[in-house]
Amino acid sequence: MDALFAIAGKDFVISVSDTASARSIVRMKKNCDKTYKLSSHTLLAVCGEPGDTANFAEYIQGNVRLYSVRNSQDLSPSETANFIRNELAGSMRSRKPYNVNMLVAGVDQNTGAASLYRIDYLAAMAKVPFAAHGYCAYFVYSVMDHEYTEGLTLEQGFDIVKNCLTALKERFIVDFPDFSIKVISTNGTREYDLAEI
Amino acid sequence: MKLRAELAIKCATHESQTESRNHSIMQYNGSAIVAMVGKNCVAIAADKRLGQQALTVDMDFEKVFRMTDRTFIGLSGLAADVKTVHDTLRMRVNLYKHREERVIEPKTMAHLVSHMLYERRFGPYYIEPIIAGLDKDNKPYICATDLIGCLSLPEDFVVTGTASDNLFGMCESLWEPELEPEDLFETISQALLNAVDRDAMSGWGAVVHIITPDGVITRDIKGRMD
Amino acid sequence: MQLQTEQLQSAAGFKFDNVKRNQLLADKGLKLSTAKKTGTTIVGLVFKDGVVLGADTRATSGPIVADKNCEKIHYLAPNMYCCGAGTAADTEFTTNMVSSQIALHSLDTGREARVVTAMTMLKQHLFRHQGYIGASLILGGYDVTGPHLFSIHPHGSTDKLPYLTDGSGSLAAMSMFESRWRPSMSREEAIELVKDAIEAGIFNDMGSGSNVDVCVITQGNVEYLRGYSRPNQRVEKEQSYTFARGTTEYYVPRAAPQPAEVASAMDTSA
Repeated sequence: MDALFAIAGKDFVISVSDTASARSIVRMKKNCDKTYKLSSHTLLAVCGEPGDTANFAEYIQGNVRLYSVRNSQDLSPSETANFIRNELAGSMRSRKPYNVNMLVAGVDQNTGAASLYRIDYLAAMAKVPFAAHGYCAYFVYSVMDHEYTEGLTLEQGFDIVKNCLTALKERFIVDFPDFSIKVISTNGTREYDLAEI
Repeated sequence: MKLRAELAIKCATHESQTESRNHSIMQYNGSAIVAMVGKNCVAIAADKRLGQQALTVDMDFEKVFRMTDRTFIGLSGLAADVKTVHDTLRMRVNLYKHREERVIEPKTMAHLVSHMLYERRFGPYYIEPIIAGLDKDNKPYICATDLIGCLSLPEDFVVTGTASDNLFGMCESLWEPELEPEDLFETISQALLNAVDRDAMSGWGAVVHIITPDGVITRDIKGRMD
Repeated sequence: MQLQTEQLQSAAGFKFDNVKRNQLLADKGLKLSTAKKTGTTIVGLVFKDGVVLGADTRATSGPIVADKNCEKIHYLAPNMYCCGAGTAADTEFTTNMVSSQIALHSLDTGREARVVTAMTMLKQHLFRHQGYIGASLILGGYDVTGPHLFSIHPHGSTDKLPYLTDGSGSLAAMSMFESRWRPSMSREEAIELVKDAIEAGIFNDMGSGSNVDVCVITQGNVEYLRGYSRPNQRVEKEQSYTFARGTTEYYVPRAAPQPAEVASAMDTSA
């Protein structure tokens, strides 16, 4: 029931994820961050099976950071996404696979270009301008399809996010307590308050 | 002897059974790919949709890959395996180049793919590749394999994906021998566009590659976005 | 690193690394898909001077004709050929593998391999896999001991008979053999009977179709007659369905993609 979506511009990516942690019909936590900072310019957002998401994301986070330490250089977003997909594809062929859907958002520090990768739990990966996972996808995809333009500004991106959240509030039976909005740009990662955008 | 006779009958009837066309794994992401032979050229075309069942996730998903200068491979089926097989194959093609100090021929690559798939006879990758290219004598080569690597080498066209039945019908009536590159482009494009319009799981634009001795022409063709 | 060595050196035998994942997909309620089959008519008979093998050329995938002119008579050795029915990939790869083993064997012994040797290799391979390799074969050849004709079933059982049919069209083909086969037929009679048997399958069995391939194996000689009979040739198209150039709309020319094999370094983008 997690809500997870993101929009990529030329040199930034806006990642939006809900902050609810639920078990069955009970909300256990209201301020849960479902995103993981892999490097200064790469962010991983996850949803899926509760235990798997945290475990897999932390494993990825550990290994991506280890790479940076060992090589004194960060992995680029495409390298990171390919690494994650490969790990998930390997896990798919194990006794107990991880059930995790992911969005990898990042800005290439060499070229300054932003990119967004959508990876599903089967390890299918696609580089996309915007993406969503879970039930929320059925609501926000139509909004993003309608309003997305190539090379949009951050403000335009925020407008789409606002409309997506309105659509969720209006039509989705699940009521999310709050959303974590993060923007990855050449300056790094910054979190925005819902009121700020 | 009796057991054997029974077995023989069982085998015989098993083959004549028509199999269920409801291959859900092969239809999970949706795809349509076709390759055709022309006069001293080949063309390969694919739709661009990536879906998760009925939900469209990407409208610019790559299914046809340029493996060498003049050999292309199209991978239909489960998107996760499309990526895995493409990655592995890319490694094998590069390895071939470094070991043999020459570029792999389309026919050789077809057998490489075929063996990669049959190796997993009892735990297959859910993909059905088609390969199109020109060999070193500029002779057109096309082939298709099933998900466990059985090669088929027709001389006219090959099709694969969720729209393969439609594509068979289109190609069977539109294709003719000795088409020049520009005419081949029209024929393959119309075959693909009209096939995907009657398939709910594929479409959303398409890409066509025409491989000629002088180089590759790549065109994004306009299709219905529904 | 481990992954690399695994992938670089492909070990012999089957890999089962996808099995667990595929089971997972099946458990999720997704139907697993099946491989291409050759709903087939294949036959073989012994005549005065050797054996004649025959096959149709249709490959099917469910109700769809996947290939209108495929080859079902596989090469095994200079003096042996083998017709295959069942799962197309299994017949192809099983005969290919045995063919290479036979080649090595006759190089090793310095003699032409015997048909029983090939038959034993095939049946042992199929028995070892307990019927999961769905290859149904008719093996014919001529060696120092004369002409031989065997049928090999997917579980590894074999028969040695003067005339054999297999595949979905085997009943139609057998009716021709039962009424017309007799010992010591001439070469011409034998080829004609094989052709008629395959055509019986082509016309009366939905799984078989297109052309007749024939292979005549005699002492020291093989004649592979690909497309010996073509009773289903398409008539010339009366009209051309080509489109005028410019019919298809396309976006401004875009650059062709870069090949995966790059002169200097490997392309690691995307």
